[in-house]
Amino acid sequence: MTILDVSEVLKADVLVKGEGCHKAIRHVMASDLMSDVLMVDEEDMLLLTSLASDQVLRTAQIVGAVGVIVVNGKPLPSSMVNVANDLRITLAVSRFSKYDACVAVHAALKPA
Amino acid sequence: MSDAPHTSDARPKGEPEPVAESEPLVLLELIQRLKVRDVMTSKLATVPRSATLREVQELMRKKKISGVPVEENGRFFGLVSIDDIIRALVAGTIDEPCSKHMTTKLVVLEDDMPLSFALRYFDRYHYGRFPVLNRDRRLVGIICQRDINRALLVELTQELNRLETSSSQTPGLDGAYSIYVLREFPICKYDFENAGKAANQIKQVLQEKKFQPKVIRRIAVAAYELEINLCVHSDGGVLSWQISNGRAEIIARDAGPGIEDVAWACRDGTSTANEWIRSLGFGAGMGLVNVKRVSDEFEITSKKGSGTTVKSVINIGEPMAT
Amino acid sequence: MTLQQLIDACGLEGVLVPDAQAAVTGAYTSDLLSDVMAHCPDGAVLITVQNHKNSVAVCTLVGSPAILVVHSRDIPEEMRSVAQREGVALLRTPDDQFTASCRLGAVFSRAS
Repeated sequence: MTILDVSEVLKADVLVKGEGCHKAIRHVMASDLMSDVLMVDEEDMLLLTSLASDQVLRTAQIVGAVGVIVVNGKPLPSSMVNVANDLRITLAVSRFSKYDACVAVHAALKPA
Repeated sequence: MSDAPHTSDARPKGEPEPVAESEPLVLLELIQRLKVRDVMTSKLATVPRSATLREVQELMRKKKISGVPVEENGRFFGLVSIDDIIRALVAGTIDEPCSKHMTTKLVVLEDDMPLSFALRYFDRYHYGRFPVLNRDRRLVGIICQRDINRALLVELTQELNRLETSSSQTPGLDGAYSIYVLREFPICKYDFENAGKAANQIKQVLQEKKFQPKVIRRIAVAAYELEINLCVHSDGGVLSWQISNGRAEIIARDAGPGIEDVAWACRDGTSTANEWIRSLGFGAGMGLVNVKRVSDEFEITSKKGSGTTVKSVINIGEPMAT
Repeated sequence: MTLQQLIDACGLEGVLVPDAQAAVTGAYTSDLLSDVMAHCPDGAVLITVQNHKNSVAVCTLVGSPAILVVHSRDIPEEMRSVAQREGVALLRTPDDQFTASCRLGAVFSRAS
């Protein structure tokens, strides 16, 4: 599953399509603490977060995440779209709560 | 938004400092990499406070030196220069103890200062030499222009030999064994708009160089954590990085406020961040722990009230075969 | 379902369970306490890595009966005593937020 597939499941608006948008997601992380995200060694990760800040994207680039889906319908600062474009990272927004998003993604990832 | 960084140059906020176009990259890298202690003369001829100026003059003549530090058991008191001797000869005070006539208002350098800093002092003060103290304020050497020239000549010759050997072994391989990529980024306090930008740039450069992804990740994480640390926990500072001889070094240097207990700061989950900083996603206190985790070598020096320097070294190994 | 049923079904560690029969109606995953205050539904278990007493305080405000601390994080004494006083249960799991959410999600959907 790619981040674009997940965005469909979460009825998310894809604001920026980045370089990794067609990569298969290998790990999902649902954290709001960037310090925790930086401790994880997984590649091709999808980050689900309620935190809407530029640093989320910068952190995502540092750890090689395929992209970020901001949940809880958080309004994004306009700078985030610019940063996502600069770093070529996929950015989407969903109204799902983080918990509901996790459950929905889990269900979608399960083999049919 | 915030105060200017404490680096001396005025620069648009957040823009990475460009590599000086006028100086060859190798030379620039050398004067950044070399410390004062690598270049100074450490086998010193010194005199105690009781020595007469005549004895100092004798020492200068024998050793062919132009400045003699006055020192007892490593404790530094002052400097006697040739000018002081000449003045004493004219005034007839040549037999008096040097403590009466030595220069005590001195500019001193620290042994772990980069040579680039030291050069600015030579430029600014026009003294022929500077005493060098270590962190415990003990006299460990003296540095003059001749020392710098000699050291640069030696280092440049060595680098030239290294470059020639490595390029002859594998034609076309631009790897970690050449000296290149030396950059400094000024980081401003609480400049959240730009926080992390430097680390992002570093990662982009690394990806172009085709190093192993796991190594790139570690360097990027170390740089990012150190950058955020500078932004959130210091009054601003400089993040610098360089790659040479199979090693990536990332150094974060700030001028305050210093860490009172370095061991405490390096523990899991400790933080001095306030609520506002936490709400932006920072300050959970894992930063230095994480830097240590990804580093092959980790060094932190800090004094409460003065600056902190954190250094992370990551071995790069062989670049990926193209 | 009851808290005890959830603990048993998910294999959670019950660090402090003042009322095992307390009703839980779902879960909410967040590490941002401001977000929890704004959106956490009544009766939902809070899934978070924030292992400190402020999380407990927020739970009492929103009517959450329990906190599920992820990554097996330490429960500091202060958090424990506030939780004891306020009657908020403290649970723990080695899972991360995503996995824990999926696990609880599966149990809740089976129950409904």
